[in-house]
Amino acid sequence: MASEKNNHHRSIPDINGTHPTPKKPKLSSSSNFITASEIQSEFSHHDSAVSRINNGSFGSCPSSILSAQQQWQLKYLRQPDHFYFNHLKPAINNSRSIIQNLVNAKDINEISIVDNATTAAAIVLQHTAWCFREGKFNKGDVVVMLHYAYGAVKKSMEAYVTRAGGKVIEVPLPFPVSSNDEIVTEFRKALEKGKVDGKKIRLAVIDHVTSMPCVVIPVKELIQICREEGVEQVFVDAAHSIGCTDVDMQDIGADFYTTNLHKWFFCPPSIAFLYTKKNPKTGGGGDLHHPVVSHEYGNGLAVESAWIGTRDYSAQLVVPEALEFVNRLEGGIEGIKKRNHEAVIEMGEMLVKAWGTHLGSPKHMCASMVMVGLPTCFGVRSDSDALTLRTHLRDVFGVEVPIYYRPPRDGEVDPVTGYARIFYQVYNKVEDYYKFRDAVNQLVDNGFACTLLSK
Amino acid sequence: MDNHDDPRNGTVQPDSKKPKLTHPISSHELLHEFSHHQTAVARINNGSFGSCPRSILTAQTTWQLRFLQQPDDFFFNTLRNGILDSRKIIKNLINADDVEEISLIDNATTAAAIVLQQIGHHFSSGKFCRNDTVIIFHCAYQAVKKSIEAYVIPVGGSVIEVELPFPVNSNEEIIAEFKKGIERGKINGGRVRLAIIDHITSMPSVVIPVRELIRVCRENEVDQVFVDGAHALGSMEVDVKEIGADFYVSNLYKWFFSPPSVAFMYCNKNKKLNDVHHPVVAHEYGNGLPAESAWVGMRDYSPQLVVPSIMEFVNRFEGGIEGIMKRNHNMVVKMGVMLKEAWGTNLGSPPEMCASMIMIGLPSKIRVMSDDDALRLRFYLRVYHAIEVPVYYQALGNGERDARDKDGFITGYVRISHQVYNIVDDYNRLKTAIIQLLQDGKICSELPKE
Repeated sequence: MASEKNNHHRSIPDINGTHPTPKKPKLSSSSNFITASEIQSEFSHHDSAVSRINNGSFGSCPSSILSAQQQWQLKYLRQPDHFYFNHLKPAINNSRSIIQNLVNAKDINEISIVDNATTAAAIVLQHTAWCFREGKFNKGDVVVMLHYAYGAVKKSMEAYVTRAGGKVIEVPLPFPVSSNDEIVTEFRKALEKGKVDGKKIRLAVIDHVTSMPCVVIPVKELIQICREEGVEQVFVDAAHSIGCTDVDMQDIGADFYTTNLHKWFFCPPSIAFLYTKKNPKTGGGGDLHHPVVSHEYGNGLAVESAWIGTRDYSAQLVVPEALEFVNRLEGGIEGIKKRNHEAVIEMGEMLVKAWGTHLGSPKHMCASMVMVGLPTCFGVRSDSDALTLRTHLRDVFGVEVPIYYRPPRDGEVDPVTGYARIFYQVYNKVEDYYKFRDAVNQLVDNGFACTLLSK
Repeated sequence: MDNHDDPRNGTVQPDSKKPKLTHPISSHELLHEFSHHQTAVARINNGSFGSCPRSILTAQTTWQLRFLQQPDDFFFNTLRNGILDSRKIIKNLINADDVEEISLIDNATTAAAIVLQQIGHHFSSGKFCRNDTVIIFHCAYQAVKKSIEAYVIPVGGSVIEVELPFPVNSNEEIIAEFKKGIERGKINGGRVRLAIIDHITSMPSVVIPVRELIRVCRENEVDQVFVDGAHALGSMEVDVKEIGADFYVSNLYKWFFSPPSVAFMYCNKNKKLNDVHHPVVAHEYGNGLPAESAWVGMRDYSPQLVVPSIMEFVNRFEGGIEGIMKRNHNMVVKMGVMLKEAWGTNLGSPPEMCASMIMIGLPSKIRVMSDDDALRLRFYLRVYHAIEVPVYYQALGNGERDARDKDGFITGYVRISHQVYNIVDDYNRLKTAIIQLLQDGKICSELPKE
């Protein structure tokens, strides 16, 4: 592993009496844009020996925001009672207010900050379970989700929905995929299945960007279909989206929406928000609760989530700094999204050309990531093979990239069964992808196959 | 961070408890370890938010940096083992049989949600009936009460609250009240399905005779016993086999020097409690609470990884954690007695019913007559005297028990804590501040509100 960077700014200073104030977001003029070398410096804590093309799994956080976070941590540690009584709530509300504006939510009460999308899923699905238990929903009523839904969300479905008597229907998705229509068709079929025997579809859980394989789903269109077909509520699991796709609550029109800010919005681990659309009739947000119940139970999800017992809430407090960082890049978040998208497509095309394979989806179904087919000679035949290959790439070549096993379909000849999921974030360089290209080429030349590594 | 003791299985005295033979921490080093605390504040409220020394914060930062450098590698190769190392140390500290009985979670509040969610399921599924109850102390932590409201009440369970006698003079007083509560639970043929027993209550703070109360529970066929030992680890000995609870939780960040926040939850494997889950469901659902809790989605798990460093820290003190606990207890009692004598008041409980915290009666002339008054006094002490200490309002009860001083009934108490960084002057300042208030003839309701 690379030697630890000299992060002297992360040592704890002696502070007596001074109150560190978080920076206020500044307006950038063109001359204030962050330079390429400043970007590298901001991410200098990344292991320089690794081609880190997996921003999507764990995200990334620039040094200046880590420092800002540390200031908040120290402020708390200095005098925690004072912090709890006087600083914590206003700081969380400040973050919520910025998020509200960023995502075009009408009311700040629609924005709750939670740890991650996994927690948001537990909140929404626990509510669904309650509805089944209380008899609001009938046993056998349906919750629809995508087959490629995140593993944790599937488990949450099992723990909360199936257990409470709900029926879960998965929408199979084609992969590789070539158009939104393919997804729409499967979705409609699943809804039909759900309405069989007079059952109601109480909830549709739709990924904005699926995790593995990674594809941008036409959520707006699917939500439109849900409304037409009488699906009661829609929950969009947009774990990747803020900083990666468009996030406009009015435009998307979901009832519940969650995204992580530590993946593509430069926040430290970990912070996400859950948007709960205010019901125009009842004025309420659907009576959701945080599963870790504390003093604020019953005061609304946002307030409940802002205190779930003593913890380090500092990651939730640096949203202002994250926005400031974003605005140091030309075009702000829009500029970043655009450049990331163009770069990852360019890199993806470079790779498939070098390997003679193909992309997993067309450009318009990618955001800051794309699935890249791997040479078939690798013989990826299982999830275990995929993980083995991933480990091999990390350990031997210093390339960090998730590998996906795509089971072949009947009748396919010499199918591509292994895909790499590559991302592009502001700290990435072309060299990262050349290194990956060359690693794969070398493996091909050496006659590599996954079976050779299996135990 | 790798050179923690590797305790052997089966020993009664785990190696991790024996201090290393290095020079004990000097007073200068100790000062430096807590130099990030706001100077000039008499911080006598360790019980609320705990404290964490620099060397452990530094260890935590090292873990955080390792994650940030290469998070995938960290996730696949480092995280689980790091958490397992911490769990093993805890297992030995609390005399549990098996590391699979130990899960690391954020805090005691999370543990309450875990226990009560499964209790709620038993009510929903019909395993427990409508008449069945959960028994708690009336002064149980507010978050726990809310958790009962969220998970038990809506599915037909009800609650019995046991009055904690306060001020209290003996364990027998508490046991008697608890027995009465259990009897109430058996009226109408109901069963007490869960007893939640604080090991050390929060406000007012008293050490509860948990072993005896659990014996009463077992005699009365209470299904599950959950001991909320939020304050316990690092302030008193915790031997889970001896205590005999089904569930036991304690925070590590209060008295065991961890950063915010981490707690351990013990689940007795002999009870075969197989429906216990972390409410934030992720990939490990169904693989046991320890595995589920070790991954609740992407987060900063560094507080869970520093337990080996904590052992190193406490072993720099004479007598290790036991020495620390003993000295904290002796000092807090000594300071408590000093204050009560200076004010002419009382202690909320005898010294043997305290650990590292003690309740001291405030002079009746200050007239703490409501929770609002208590908050005003706390605010006043923080802002005007830079003293951080929680204030408790105790409504008058039944005459005989009500404590008095020479001027009237004592209805207000302060809860003082003693941790290694405290000095005698912290408590002298409190003594003086209260005496000053008396001399100025001020009462609580006249104090400024926030």
